[in-house]
Amino acid sequence: MQEPYVVASWPAVPVEIVRAAGFRAVMARGASAPTPAADAHLEPGIFPNRLRHLVEDALTGRLSRVARIIIPRTSDADYKCFLYLREFVRTGVATALAPVVLFDLLQSRGADVRNHDVARTRALLDALASCSGRMPSADDLRREITRANAARAAARRLVALRHIVPRATGTDVFPLLAAFWEVDPDRYVEMASEAVSRIAARPPLTGPRVLLTGAPVEGQILHEAIESHGAVVVAEVGPWGRGAAGDDVRIDDDPVAALADKYQADSIGARTPVDSLRRWTEHMLDDVDAVVVSLPPDDAVFGWDYPALRDVLKARRIPHVCLRGDQYQAPTAADHVQLGAMVSAASQMQEARRG
Amino acid sequence: MADKQLAATVAESAFQKQWFADLRRRVFDERQPYALLQADVPFELFDLVDVPAVSNQWWASIVAAKRQAPQFLDAMDADGLHGDLCRYCSLGYASTRYRSAGDAPWGGLPTPRLLCARLTCDCIHRVFELWADAFGAELFEIDHPGAGDLPPRWWELGRHRWRELVEPHRLAFVVATLEKLVERLEVISGRRLDREALRDRLEKVNQQEEIFDAVRRLIATAPECPVRMTEQITNVMATQWVRGSEWALAHARAFHDEVQQRVEAGVAACPGERVRLMWIGVGLWHDSGFYTAFESSHRAVFVWSMYLAFGPDGYIRYGLDDPMAALASRTASFNEYLHNPPWAAEWIVHQALEHRIDGALVLRPRSMKPAGTGRLFIERALEDAGIPVLPIAADVVDAREWDADGARAAVRSFLETRVGQ
Repeated sequence: MQEPYVVASWPAVPVEIVRAAGFRAVMARGASAPTPAADAHLEPGIFPNRLRHLVEDALTGRLSRVARIIIPRTSDADYKCFLYLREFVRTGVATALAPVVLFDLLQSRGADVRNHDVARTRALLDALASCSGRMPSADDLRREITRANAARAAARRLVALRHIVPRATGTDVFPLLAAFWEVDPDRYVEMASEAVSRIAARPPLTGPRVLLTGAPVEGQILHEAIESHGAVVVAEVGPWGRGAAGDDVRIDDDPVAALADKYQADSIGARTPVDSLRRWTEHMLDDVDAVVVSLPPDDAVFGWDYPALRDVLKARRIPHVCLRGDQYQAPTAADHVQLGAMVSAASQMQEARRG
Repeated sequence: MADKQLAATVAESAFQKQWFADLRRRVFDERQPYALLQADVPFELFDLVDVPAVSNQWWASIVAAKRQAPQFLDAMDADGLHGDLCRYCSLGYASTRYRSAGDAPWGGLPTPRLLCARLTCDCIHRVFELWADAFGAELFEIDHPGAGDLPPRWWELGRHRWRELVEPHRLAFVVATLEKLVERLEVISGRRLDREALRDRLEKVNQQEEIFDAVRRLIATAPECPVRMTEQITNVMATQWVRGSEWALAHARAFHDEVQQRVEAGVAACPGERVRLMWIGVGLWHDSGFYTAFESSHRAVFVWSMYLAFGPDGYIRYGLDDPMAALASRTASFNEYLHNPPWAAEWIVHQALEHRIDGALVLRPRSMKPAGTGRLFIERALEDAGIPVLPIAADVVDAREWDADGARAAVRSFLETRVGQ
């Protein structure tokens, strides 16, 4: 018996299409638990934790009843994961696995990328519709876009409560923002609105405001570590926190093209063009007192941006630390020493600014 | 490094040094444009509009072979680029960005007019953006749509039925992107791409690769391997960068004829050959002596690497009615042929059996993450085919952590315990 949900390897899949086709989206996340079945087949140091867990689930039969597994073209590791999963099925290594779909949305700036992306988004719609037996009309898609846009607006109201004068810790807000991807939009609006009312009544938090950048984080372990030193994480790069909602999807005659455009422009991952991430980061620097750069051991991409970011931070006299640990493990004692020093430096600068 | 056994190898080495000197003269004295490319970009398009092109991977191999990599890589480390970032595709960038840290071979790279890369690995966009920025040059990117349909025996389909090898939407995308690249090249060079000349060039590439195919058959079928793997690589690599040119064809023929003469005369790379080895992965550019280190002790010869074998199987395209589509069909799937399941393992096992391989050494790249994928599938497939495997952990350009003695000891043990010496 098939379950009415699809599993995606990263939040870069149009949830509007998933819902219009009659499914619920579940996003793969990492964890600190071991992955022995996956470890036998995945080369070490290449696949991020979330993909190791996805493969673990695939090889142990836990994904046999989902409707589809969707792998967006978020990173080379995701693409390789798609090819591996197909090979596990072909060779009988995975005996019970839902069909795997590649959502090949490209993010480069080539002249023909848009046509490709619109066609691939249509192909995703067709694949899910043929699975559910329910081909959504343009009106169905526009309805889902409207619902998701309402959820985006609610998420943006939460984000506003972290801006300039934060009233909630990153540890508290991050899971609320991350829920955008998996919770029904109407329910999300209720949940986020209730949280906004609750948080808005709180007094402002006074600790140094921290931007968490580098490789996108999927959980709040780093938030907790940073905030244990008295700082407040006010923004993090990636689709799970500050970037979960982004701008609305436009509503027009071609909802598929509108969704392709939105996800091409807003999806955040290893293949996001460096200039758009750089613009976002530098914009965020106006409202933070310190920066934490997370570059986990499987990072092959975001480390390239570090020297330029470090030079900008130095020029703007913003303290920062660079952490190399796995985001699913608690930071080491040495990491905490660095974090403590950074927060202390940021606090002193904050006080100096206040006169 | 071992002595060169073939006259063709000496000629090839002299050619590439002279070619680079000519390039520098053209750029500095005649102010002509040139381009820096990833190895999987179609070089033919550049040559046909008279924009010479330097391969990033070739340049990295030269820097490493000249023992200059550690200085540039130390400078990268000192600048905060962590050690898990790919060193192979970025060594050229480091030789530009940290120019004063080392002594780049042959006077170093002049400033290119254009850089061009296929976006296969995620880091390529970053590395080439930084490199273009360091030069103040333009960057053209060829994105890489993923393959969803990978039919068996790609190396057979690719020759005559290449349209079936690449899904239509992928082929159309790559054709459209290459057309945009041609538009840029025509502006840069002031020359129009002659489509008939492109067809003619691809026919000559076919001829060149057919010659390499014949060399490969000689190596596979001769009683003893007639040419060392290192010399195969030298003769193939620089030829491939100018593939289909008059010089490339003439050199391929000279290489073939010399190998054939050696086979007919019963001359072996390692007389008394007992073990035939294959190397899977990028070449170990900083320690090419590794590949000849087991000849005298164990009569073990490296017979196969992808460099010669991939030419005929990856490049030949018959049916050139639409030469740009044929070129795009070759370009679209390089990464999948060489690194990904099911294609890479299937091809390598086929090659191992054809070449009567006794043992395979598989590179476990330390920092080239995407090139490290598919490795476990390849290792399993070889073992299942009865070919013992020894993984070798190394960075192909970074000698700083390379344990040359330890690796040689591991191979000796492998030869003595698993290959049955």
